Amino acid sequence: MPPDRIDLPQGTLDLLILRTLSIGAQHGWAISERVQQVSSDVLRIQQGSLYPALHRLERRGWIRAKWGTSDNNRRAKFYELTASGKKQLEKETDTWRKLAAAVTQIIESV
Amino acid sequence: MFDRLLSDLRYRLRALFHRKAMEEELDDELRFHFENETEKLRRSGMNEQEAKRRARLAMGGHPQVQQDCREARGTTFLETSLQDATYALRQLVANPTFSIVMILTLALSIGANSAIFSVVDNVLVRSLPYPHPDRIVRIFLTSPTYPRFPLNPFDFRDYRARTRSFSSLAAFTRSDMQLSGNSGQPRMLNGFGITSGFFRVLGLSPQLGHEFTPANELPNSAREVIISDRLWRTRFAASPAIIGRKITLNAMPFTVIGVMPPGTEHPGNEYHPIAYGHDVDVWSPFWFEGNPTQRGPHYLEGIGRLKDGVSYAQAQSELDAVMTEINRENIANPNRWRVLVVPLNQEIVGRSRTMLLVLLGAVGMVLLIACANAANLLLARAAARRRELAVRLALGAPRSRLIRQLLTESLLIAAAGGLLGLALAAGGVTAIVSLLPSDFPRAHDIHISAPVFAFTFLVSVVTGLLFGLAPALQAARTDPRSGLHEGGRSTTGSRGQQRLRSALVVSEVTLACVLLIGAGLMLRSLLNLLHVNPGFRQDHVLTAILSLPAANYKDDALTAVFFQKLMADLRSTPGVEAAGAGSDLPWNGWDENTSFAIQGKQPPPHEEFHGRYHCATPDYFRALGTPLLSGRFFTDADKKDAPSVIIVNHALAAKYWPGEDAIGKRITFEDQPKEKDWLTIVGVVGDVKDQPGSPGADPGFWWPHQQVAFRDMALVVRSSSDPEGLADAVRNAVHHLDPSLAVANVQLMDQIVEESVATPRLAFILVGLFAGLAILLAAIGTYGVISYTVSQRTSEFGLRLALGAQRLDLLRLVLAQGAGLILTGTAAGLCLALLLARILKSLIYNVSPADPLTFGAVAVLVVAVALLASWFPARRAAKSDPMVALRAE
Repeated sequence: MPPDRIDLPQGTLDLLILRTLSIGAQHGWAISERVQQVSSDVLRIQQGSLYPALHRLERRGWIRAKWGTSDNNRRAKFYELTASGKKQLEKETDTWRKLAAAVTQIIESV
Repeated sequence: MFDRLLSDLRYRLRALFHRKAMEEELDDELRFHFENETEKLRRSGMNEQEAKRRARLAMGGHPQVQQDCREARGTTFLETSLQDATYALRQLVANPTFSIVMILTLALSIGANSAIFSVVDNVLVRSLPYPHPDRIVRIFLTSPTYPRFPLNPFDFRDYRARTRSFSSLAAFTRSDMQLSGNSGQPRMLNGFGITSGFFRVLGLSPQLGHEFTPANELPNSAREVIISDRLWRTRFAASPAIIGRKITLNAMPFTVIGVMPPGTEHPGNEYHPIAYGHDVDVWSPFWFEGNPTQRGPHYLEGIGRLKDGVSYAQAQSELDAVMTEINRENIANPNRWRVLVVPLNQEIVGRSRTMLLVLLGAVGMVLLIACANAANLLLARAAARRRELAVRLALGAPRSRLIRQLLTESLLIAAAGGLLGLALAAGGVTAIVSLLPSDFPRAHDIHISAPVFAFTFLVSVVTGLLFGLAPALQAARTDPRSGLHEGGRSTTGSRGQQRLRSALVVSEVTLACVLLIGAGLMLRSLLNLLHVNPGFRQDHVLTAILSLPAANYKDDALTAVFFQKLMADLRSTPGVEAAGAGSDLPWNGWDENTSFAIQGKQPPPHEEFHGRYHCATPDYFRALGTPLLSGRFFTDADKKDAPSVIIVNHALAAKYWPGEDAIGKRITFEDQPKEKDWLTIVGVVGDVKDQPGSPGADPGFWWPHQQVAFRDMALVVRSSSDPEGLADAVRNAVHHLDPSLAVANVQLMDQIVEESVATPRLAFILVGLFAGLAILLAAIGTYGVISYTVSQRTSEFGLRLALGAQRLDLLRLVLAQGAGLILTGTAAGLCLALLLARILKSLIYNVSPADPLTFGAVAVLVVAVALLASWFPARRAAKSDPMVALRAE
């Protein structure tokens, strides 16, 4: 395990899931793999938080689930963004950018 | 936004109703993840076992993830509650005796509370059906002897002219009218003579036509009436053409100028009373007749609507000031009256308030006892379930979860009790209303209403929490180790629990004692009322009211002749023992007084001789069963031209001729009497109590009807058999003489007497029922706690027997424990009752609130019942088999 892995800041898990799903339907395992890969192994979603988060997002109507077949030809539950999920993603991305920029600005200036 | 709510709801519903499918899906999903992870690790070169181990580690606990997912679905709270409820239901079904006892006792107590609450809510809380009813006040005169006295008409006119506190001030007085001709049978209508503005005060206006104007108040102005919606519909087919039509009232033509809307409730009155809400069908204009300087007669009742922002006290002081002026201006009539302003609502329900609040208090105590009882039963069961709870705790159930589970059980029991209680209350309210005296304020308003539902719900929840909380907390304090160790059979039990249970039983006994004493006092009071000698014989007497219209019976002679003939006809009717007529009947509120002079006596300064006047035909007293103490009754010989005679009651004779014979003494009503103006007392009759509960009778006297002929008379017919059978004979006799007369209020004297004790009887029945329930609950509680101790000490008792103790010793041992609780509870109950009984003072008759007989009897009863309840478990203890007990050890 790379030593420089960091914990996900509060509230970013939803954003990561929504972003990952924006490129197409995925099952849970693929979502966690992808986040890990794209972040060059820095971010890793704990499975214990991934599935409750998926259920929560589904309840909010931002993603919906359906059963499909995985690459290795097995039955798997795929999640995809809904229309309101896309809107939510835009909103959260925007908020995140602003937050990140502001935090960066403070760190660099002082 | 709305979309999201909808999708959220849809998801939660699916989560709730397709729980199993969702759980399975989650299982599949997690397994898929786990396998992928393992596969990945294996491909990176790990062996199968190591890969699985690492994957499992990375996942975190599988059940934990599942639980988190369930929570994320947002249905946990509901699901847990459903689970708890199902579990609780199973527990209740598994212990049917326990459940039935719990639910029934709670249902009875909650039902009783809901029933009394609906009476209180409808009578005391709900506002009167007039706009801004709090602005309406009643106006009386008051003095130490007469707390509520009617007004003099000319005084009233001065109030109206000189005060500014009222937006409208009016007066009214009883004035029944006889409807005849037109269509149908002659009928006596309840009616009032009213001044202009009477309906404006009430905030009501006619649905057809208009109200009376001040012009209507002038003597001999047009004869006009306003009628009720009821009369309009039943007698005049709801014809709009009624306005302007002439109808025959008291044998005279009256023009109908208005029809009041339905729901025009009579505000109740004091003088010749008709209770609030009873039928009043005709209102006629009040004429200010007579001489404004003669302010002796008082027969008007005042009612007014206060202007906004004017307080009762302001109105009171303004009227007082006006009264002082009036007294100064009319020196001829010095009096010491003060004005009394009473809010209408207080006037209507004030006298029932104490009784209702006492009932509410009593029924509240029953609920407390039921709570204590339920808590006790739950504690006993919690003890039996210690093992179960210890196991659940040992398996990791959080204590909060156990408390919640146990509370769910008690709430479920309370809810079942509440539901059943509501059904009982519905029946109870009907029963109570049918038992209420007919003049009970707002009795016809009482029904199970929305506030009653809310009250029952609230009471059920609070009850459930109240009796469930302590046992739940106690149970959750179970130490899993001790619970498992002892194998559920403990010789010591929990000290704290035992103390709590004893305290509960003591308080049950205490409260039951208080209620029984309340019931006992009311019973004694009721018996006193029933056994009081009213001064007449109520059995076998039929009464009726008859009014001869002045238009047809213009002079005394015609009136006297009519009644003489009627009495003769009735006397000759088979089955009639005696037939008489009088100005009034006992207990109908007759309160007509006059002053007089006594030959050879001077009244003390600033005082006059006075008495209540009545009038009677010769056989009136015989028919009523009032005894003649000395002298004679009237005879047919006491005619107009014969010497004037009078009969007085014992109270008047004793007041003005103490220690002397009143017979032959003379009185007069004239200031300058001539010889013929003197009336000679020819008889003294026994006292008839003014009210069944009053200490005695007011001084009174009777004129012979032939000499002072009243037109409004009460018929009194004593029968040798069933008096009810005479009703038709009486009607026929009257109609034979004059078919246009209404025979009103045909009633047995028995009914009038019954009615007079209806309120104390109802209070006793209800408090008695509550007390019975209370002692039953206390007995169950005592039985429960003693029987629990016995079961806990079975092996100890066995050991004692084996060591040579006698069975009688064991019996005594257990009974002593019970007796300790019972005596403590009884002593506390007697003390509490001594404090509380003072509240009952206005409700009981001729009994001291600290009546030693009641207190003693209740103490004996409570101790006996509770000892009996502990005797059963004590006998079980004495029967314990030493071998069984020892073997079990």
